[in-house]
Amino acid sequence: MGANIYKNKKPVFFFLIPAFTFMIIFLYYPFIQNILNSFQQIDGLGSAAKGINAPWYENYVKMVTDENMKTALFNTGWMLLATLLGQVGIAVVLAILVDNIKRGAKFFRILYFLPIVISATALGVLFNLIFLYDKGMINQFRELLGAAALIDFKDEQHGMLTLMLPVIWQYVGFYFIILITGLNNISPELYEAAAIDGASGLQRVRYISLPLLYNVICTCVVLSVTGALKVFDLPWVMFPKGMPFNSTWLTGTYMYYQAFGASNVDYSSAIAVAIVVLGVIMAKVINTVFKEKDY
Amino acid sequence: MKKIVALLLTCTMLVSMAACGSKSAAAPAAEPAAEETAEAAPAAEETEAPAAEPTGPVTLNVTTTYAGNDGGAEIYQKYIAAWQDETGNTVNDASGTADETFKARVLADFEVGSEPDVLFYFNGTDSNAFVSAGKVVSIDDIRAEYPDYASNMKDSMLGASPVDGVNYSVPVNGYWEGMYVNKEVCKAAGVEIPGPDTTWEEFMTTCQAIKDAGYAPIAASLAQIPHYWFEFCIFNHTTVATHCQLPGSATDAQGQAWVDGIGDIKTLYEKGYFPDNTLSATDDETFQMFLDGKAAFLCDGSWKAGGISESAENIDNFTVTYVPGMNDRKATDMIGGLSSGYYITKKAWEDPEKRATAVAFVEYMTSDAVVSEFAQVSATALKNGAQIDESTLNSLQKDCLTLCAGATGIAPAVQDLVPQPCRVPVFDGMPNLVTGKADIAEAVQEVLDMVAAQ
Amino acid sequence: MNKYSAKKIAGNTVSYLALTIWALTTAYPLLWVILNSFKDRREIMSQSFSLPTGDLFTLDNYRLAFEKMDIFGAYINSLSVSCMVSLIVIILAGLASYALVRYEFPGRNLLQGLILAGMMFPAFSTIIPVFRMESAWGIVNTDSRFLSLFALSLPQIAGNMSFAIIVLSGYIRSLPVELEEAAYMEGCTAGQIFFKVIVPLTKPSFATVGIFSFLWSYNDLFTQTFFLRIKDHWAITRLLSELTSREGTNYGLMASTVTMVIVPVVIVYVSLQKYIIKGMTAGAVKG
Repeated sequence: MGANIYKNKKPVFFFLIPAFTFMIIFLYYPFIQNILNSFQQIDGLGSAAKGINAPWYENYVKMVTDENMKTALFNTGWMLLATLLGQVGIAVVLAILVDNIKRGAKFFRILYFLPIVISATALGVLFNLIFLYDKGMINQFRELLGAAALIDFKDEQHGMLTLMLPVIWQYVGFYFIILITGLNNISPELYEAAAIDGASGLQRVRYISLPLLYNVICTCVVLSVTGALKVFDLPWVMFPKGMPFNSTWLTGTYMYYQAFGASNVDYSSAIAVAIVVLGVIMAKVINTVFKEKDY
Repeated sequence: MKKIVALLLTCTMLVSMAACGSKSAAAPAAEPAAEETAEAAPAAEETEAPAAEPTGPVTLNVTTTYAGNDGGAEIYQKYIAAWQDETGNTVNDASGTADETFKARVLADFEVGSEPDVLFYFNGTDSNAFVSAGKVVSIDDIRAEYPDYASNMKDSMLGASPVDGVNYSVPVNGYWEGMYVNKEVCKAAGVEIPGPDTTWEEFMTTCQAIKDAGYAPIAASLAQIPHYWFEFCIFNHTTVATHCQLPGSATDAQGQAWVDGIGDIKTLYEKGYFPDNTLSATDDETFQMFLDGKAAFLCDGSWKAGGISESAENIDNFTVTYVPGMNDRKATDMIGGLSSGYYITKKAWEDPEKRATAVAFVEYMTSDAVVSEFAQVSATALKNGAQIDESTLNSLQKDCLTLCAGATGIAPAVQDLVPQPCRVPVFDGMPNLVTGKADIAEAVQEVLDMVAAQ
Repeated sequence: MNKYSAKKIAGNTVSYLALTIWALTTAYPLLWVILNSFKDRREIMSQSFSLPTGDLFTLDNYRLAFEKMDIFGAYINSLSVSCMVSLIVIILAGLASYALVRYEFPGRNLLQGLILAGMMFPAFSTIIPVFRMESAWGIVNTDSRFLSLFALSLPQIAGNMSFAIIVLSGYIRSLPVELEEAAYMEGCTAGQIFFKVIVPLTKPSFATVGIFSFLWSYNDLFTQTFFLRIKDHWAITRLLSELTSREGTNYGLMASTVTMVIVPVVIVYVSLQKYIIKGMTAGAVKG
């Protein structure tokens, strides 16, 4: 960089203090309470702790041996891969396509945003109808095509797939909008220059769009990791309580269930701590692998 | 800074001292309302009329579970409006639908000391936290000053706290559990609708006939809501008197009843009387099967009568009956109770301005007329029973009344003795139990151990 | 030349085809929700994929909401909270991201780690301490609508901050630093550089972050349940969630409430769309 504008560090505090004041009071301080809660016995959100667990790290021991937690981590791993390849992948393709068309870009940008605004409850009902066992949309189609037996899309074999497809679909639009915004930050003059040099469409994508989008894609990857770890609303509506046979738990749904379904708030707090630790570690690994670049 | 804090503290202390003083009728001129209240209350005691007759407008913070599309919500709104008009008092209504978030909010309110003056809330284990913290006033304590408080109710049915067996709340309307029937399915399968005398064996034959006719006999999501069958199948191995008791262990008589009861659910499952996807479908989906004429029976609570009335194309196609019984339990022995009631918090009770008003409010909301309007087809604790205008009811609701009238006994649900987290092995674990992936006796023991550890 | 343009047309066709297929999947659910909001609740499950014409058509699902509730008051509450939240979030997060991207200082890595962590705190784990604090400050459970909305917005601002900082950092990092250097040469201070160079250059990014902060604040039913108690204080999501029944789900009502919730969000999104356009960087360079 070589610039000496950023040698004087005094303004840093002025820039950081307002945002961090909010976060310290309303996020970090409460979360420290949450960490303390994970060592105490609490039977209902909002009720007082009944005392320290014996031993105090009991919940963390339990987490290591808990079969459901294993399932949750395993499923979340799949979810993570699916969000990375599915959500971010599809979003990159769609963003570049929309960026390169002349008409209708605005139209597509609005349509792609829609799934994010519809509440999980409503989407859950819709997808339940689509995947419904008897007279569901897909099973009706299959019947039309001559299939004899109904498929239970929510059984153990199909459960995770039925759960992941809607989640991937819903959040493609989210990454799409972040990416298309990044593309809009790129100066059109760069493209003009490239066009004069005779670069083809694909070459422009390869040599201008993708490199300049690199940092934003990194952001998306980090967001998708944290997103996969905490997603719960749509999966919870479609597969409450890890149905069937505790096979569809995700870390997000399991944490939610422990807090509200099983009223085991302290254990849920411990899972929250685990999720945060895992998320930070993974995000740091990603940041080291894809080192972000300054321009 | 320190000075300001000290000043603030002094002010608070002065105010609170003044508040204490007002109780002993030495109230400063600034608080005439309080003084009048304190005097008015004992005076009212002597006359027979409603015990509390407060004066001066008071603002009461009230939280209830009457909200949203709940049938009671409109009636509740109507009566708080009427009460405000009659008395000139104001109600700050902070009611909400009783979901998990709302429950957390109520508990948090008690924790931080911002609880309401009057609370309409569950009287089961959900109330344990604030009852054991001494944040609500017992009915006995209220009656010490207002002897007529809740005198129109049967004391045995008020719904004592699981913590200490003391009554804290005054119930309005309760629930019962029964078996809803899709008549068309029964007709198509050529079976009789089970009645008050139907035995479990006859019920099994009926289910088999329905299954053979290509329908699902029982709509239920064992994965999500196995509660009703859990309750009745255990009831079939206990009696009205003994049903609502926790076993000491999985091997004593009561424990054996639990194991046998859950075993019966397993048999139902193995015979294929639940829908094919009962272990993967949600309750909404199986309820829809019942409505769509794909399943014959639905075991559910009295509130479901409203849900069926609103969702069914033809309400006359549905009725309700008793869950067939075996052993010492007659089919007409039902599960039911009054699971919520009005609490007066210590905070309001110790506030001389609010004490009488809070009492008057609860008395108003639990008077015979108001309770009857809330009750409709459900149970009440009224000594005189609810007065209902039958002409406003649909055929299913009338069947509900007949059902209640024919009941020979009512036992409270035993699951209410088990705190939420301890229910996990038998409720959330039900799919494992019916498929034999987990042992029933072990699961029951696990529940009991968890309850004991609480 | 001919060959080249034929290839271009083919490429374009494929692009539009792919885009349209995805658009169909995203438009369909909304259409489904809106159509079903005009059907009786009894028909939704059995005839959920047919059009609400003739006997199927009804306005009952909307009538209930408008008759029973103060919908417009709730819209105003929602909009004031969510606009305030998103505005404060983008300003504070913008400043913080700028500092985190451009300055090197000890502890920067730690701060970035903290921000990442902050994005994953579940709402339920932080709500009770926040509630206790605000209760001690006396801004919870009062008659004042302003205080209730204010109490609600504080944790929401903090909750959206992490996301906003992470996304804005990504965008600011991609800006060529030369423009800032030029401004510095002309004597601008760091603060001036932020407001005169960074903000105009990344206007689309601020709009995008603003949209999501708005959306999440608007949909955050959980926090609303704690802080908005009295009916007059309810935001639209809180009000409409109270409409759905305890006795099984009323799908007709749900479809209509979803529609009513979505409309303002889509309007906000569409109106902010105009900031997400090309040419900002170019304009700044020329100017």
